Amino acid sequence: MDLVLLLQRIFDALFNSAIYSSLALALVIIYRSTGLLNFAQGEMATLAGYIAFVLLAGPSRGVYGSGVLGLLPGVPYPVALAVVGAVVFGMLSGAATERVLIRPLRDAPEMALVNVTIGMLLLINSMTAQWWGTGPRFFPPLFPTGPGENFDIFGARLRYNTIGAWMTLLVLLVVLAVLLQRTRAGLAFRAVSIDRTSAELNGIRAGRTLMYGWALAAGLGAVAASMSANIVLLEPSMMLRVLVFAFAAATLGGLDSPKGALVGGVIIGLSQTLIPAYVPFIGFELGVLPALLVMVAVLLVRPAGLFGTRRIERV
Amino acid sequence: MRALRGRSPWVWVAGALLVFWLIWAPMTSDTTDLRRYSQVIVSVLAVLGVNLATGYGGMISLGHGVFVAVGAFATAYFVDDMSMPWVLAIVLGTLVAGVSGTIVGLPALRIRGIHLALVTLGLAIVFQPLAKRFPSLSGGVSGRAVEARFDAPSWFGDTRYADAVWRYIWCLVVVVVAIAITWNLVNSRAGRAIRAMRDNDTAAAIYGVDLVRTRVATFMVSASLAGLGGAMQIVLVPFTSQETYTVQESLVIYATAVIGGLGTIWGSVVGVALREIVSFVGTQLSEVGGFGPVGHVLALLDTDAFVFGLGLVVLTFLFPRGLVGGRRSGPRNRGRLAGLVARRYRDRTTV
Repeated sequence: MDLVLLLQRIFDALFNSAIYSSLALALVIIYRSTGLLNFAQGEMATLAGYIAFVLLAGPSRGVYGSGVLGLLPGVPYPVALAVVGAVVFGMLSGAATERVLIRPLRDAPEMALVNVTIGMLLLINSMTAQWWGTGPRFFPPLFPTGPGENFDIFGARLRYNTIGAWMTLLVLLVVLAVLLQRTRAGLAFRAVSIDRTSAELNGIRAGRTLMYGWALAAGLGAVAASMSANIVLLEPSMMLRVLVFAFAAATLGGLDSPKGALVGGVIIGLSQTLIPAYVPFIGFELGVLPALLVMVAVLLVRPAGLFGTRRIERV
Repeated sequence: MRALRGRSPWVWVAGALLVFWLIWAPMTSDTTDLRRYSQVIVSVLAVLGVNLATGYGGMISLGHGVFVAVGAFATAYFVDDMSMPWVLAIVLGTLVAGVSGTIVGLPALRIRGIHLALVTLGLAIVFQPLAKRFPSLSGGVSGRAVEARFDAPSWFGDTRYADAVWRYIWCLVVVVVAIAITWNLVNSRAGRAIRAMRDNDTAAAIYGVDLVRTRVATFMVSASLAGLGGAMQIVLVPFTSQETYTVQESLVIYATAVIGGLGTIWGSVVGVALREIVSFVGTQLSEVGGFGPVGHVLALLDTDAFVFGLGLVVLTFLFPRGLVGGRRSGPRNRGRLAGLVARRYRDRTTV
C-alpha cells in the first residue's frame, strides 16, 4: 500500500470532514433541544449559500434577487463578507422557522414535524431551482486553493483550504462552547434541552431559547454550505448528498452529542474518500452508500451512537 | 361492498363523477392524453403504498419512489432481457419490488418513527447513484428503452388508439383490483393488527400481534404496490431512467399520500386527483405569466415540489389528518390501552 497516497487521501478527506462535522453539529443542536431531525437543514443551508452568491454577484449581473440585495451598502461584497451575510440570513431564517412553523407544533405527533421539515425541503429546493436555475454555479473558495498553496507533509499535500475549514470549525466550536457554558442564554438552552417542562417552571422562556438554537444551527449550516459550494459547485440539490453524510455522522456520534457530531463527521468524511478508493466495487459516485449503511447499522445496533445518551423505554 | 355503506351524499356525487370521467375520458381523448390519464391512474399505486406503510402501519416512508423504480427496472429486465410475456414480467417485477421492500422493512423492525423517516430519505437520495452504478439494469445515465410493446390483441383493434385504450383499461383494472385488495387487507384481521401496531405496539404484542411478521409483511405489500405502479409505467411508456426517480419525486409521493389523507384509502385517490388538478392549474397559470416577482411565483406554482411542499406545511396546521381525514384535532387519545381494547373487536375504526 502506498503510504503517501493514503496520507494524501486522508488530507483530502479532512476537508469534507469539516463540512460534515459542522452540518452534523447543526442537526445535533436541533435534535438535542427540540427532539426532531431537521430534514430541511441542508436546503436551508443551500438557500443561505445562494444568498452569499447573490451578494458576491452584486446588482448589475442579472442574478435573481440581486436587485433587492443590491440595495445593501457596498454590494458586491468580497467572499468573507458575503459569507457573513449568508450566515446572518441563515440565522434569521432559522429563527423564523422555529417561531412560525415549529413552535406551534409543540404537542403535535412526530409525523407532523416530519411533514413540516419535508415540506420545507421541497419548498426551498424548488424555489432555489426556480430562481437560480438547476445548473451548477461557480462559487469562489473561502481559502486559497491554487496549486502550491499547501503544506508538504511526508510528500502529501495538506491544502490551506482544508486547514482554513478546520480553523473555521474550531473557532465556531469555541464560540458555541462559550455561548453554551458561559452565558445566561446558554444555560437556559441547556436547561431546556435536558427537561423542557422543568425549565419552563423555572421561568425560562423555552420557545425563545429554542429559537436561538435554531438560529445557531442554521448559521452553522450556512457556513457549511459556503465552504462546500466551491467544491461541489452551488446548485439547488447540492446539500442533499451532504445531508446524508451529515446525518450519518450525527447518528454515528450520537444524535444528541456535539462531540459525537465532530468525531462522526471526521469518520464519515474519511470513509467517503477511503472506502471507494480501496474498494473498487463501490466507486466514487457511490461514496454515499457506505454512509447510509453506517447510519442504518448504528441505528440498528446501537441507537445511541458513540457518545449519545441511551434511551430507556418504559412500558 | 362495505366500502360504500353509510357514506355522505357528497361522496356518492364525487364517486359518480369519477366513474363518469373514467368512462368518458377514453372515448373523447386522443392517444397522448389517454396515456397521460393512464399514468395518473397508475400513480395511485405508489401513493397507496405509502398510505399502507405510513398511514396504517405508522412507518414513515420517504423513499417509495425507489420501489417504483425497482418495479419499473425489474419489469423492463424481465420483459426484455428474459423475453417473458408481459403479465408474467409485471408480476415478477412487482415481486422484486416487494422483496426489496422487505429488505428495507427489516431495519424498520428496530428503527422507528423519525429515524425510519431518516433512513428512507437516505435510501431515496442514494438510489440515483446506485442505479447509475449498474447500467446493465438501469441503462445508466441515459436510461433504457424497452423493446417489447404492450399492444392490444388483434380482436381489440390494431390502431394506435386501440392500443392506448387497451392499456388504459388494463391500468384501470389493475388499480381497481389493487385498491380492492388493499381495502380488504386493512379491514381484515391483519389490518386491525397493522393499526394496533401503529397505535401502540406493546399493547398490540400483548394481544398476540406478531410484530415482526406484521411489520415486514406491511412493508412488503406496501413496496409491492409501489413496484406495481412502476411496472405499469413501463407498460405505458417503454422507457425508463433513473432520472425520473429523484428524491423530490419520492417526497412528492409521500406528500400526496399525506395531503390526501393517511389511513383512508380514498385519501390516496383524492391526493392523486389533487396532484393532477394542481399541476393542470399551475401550468395554465404559468402560461399566463406575469412580470417581475408575479411571474416567478406563477412559475413556481407549476412545480409539483413547490405546491406539495407548501401543501405539506399548510395542511399540517389546518388538516392534521389530510383532506379526507377532515378537520379534526390531532390524535390525542392514540396509544391508550383502553381505546385499543374498545376498538379491538370493531370492524370500522376511525383510524
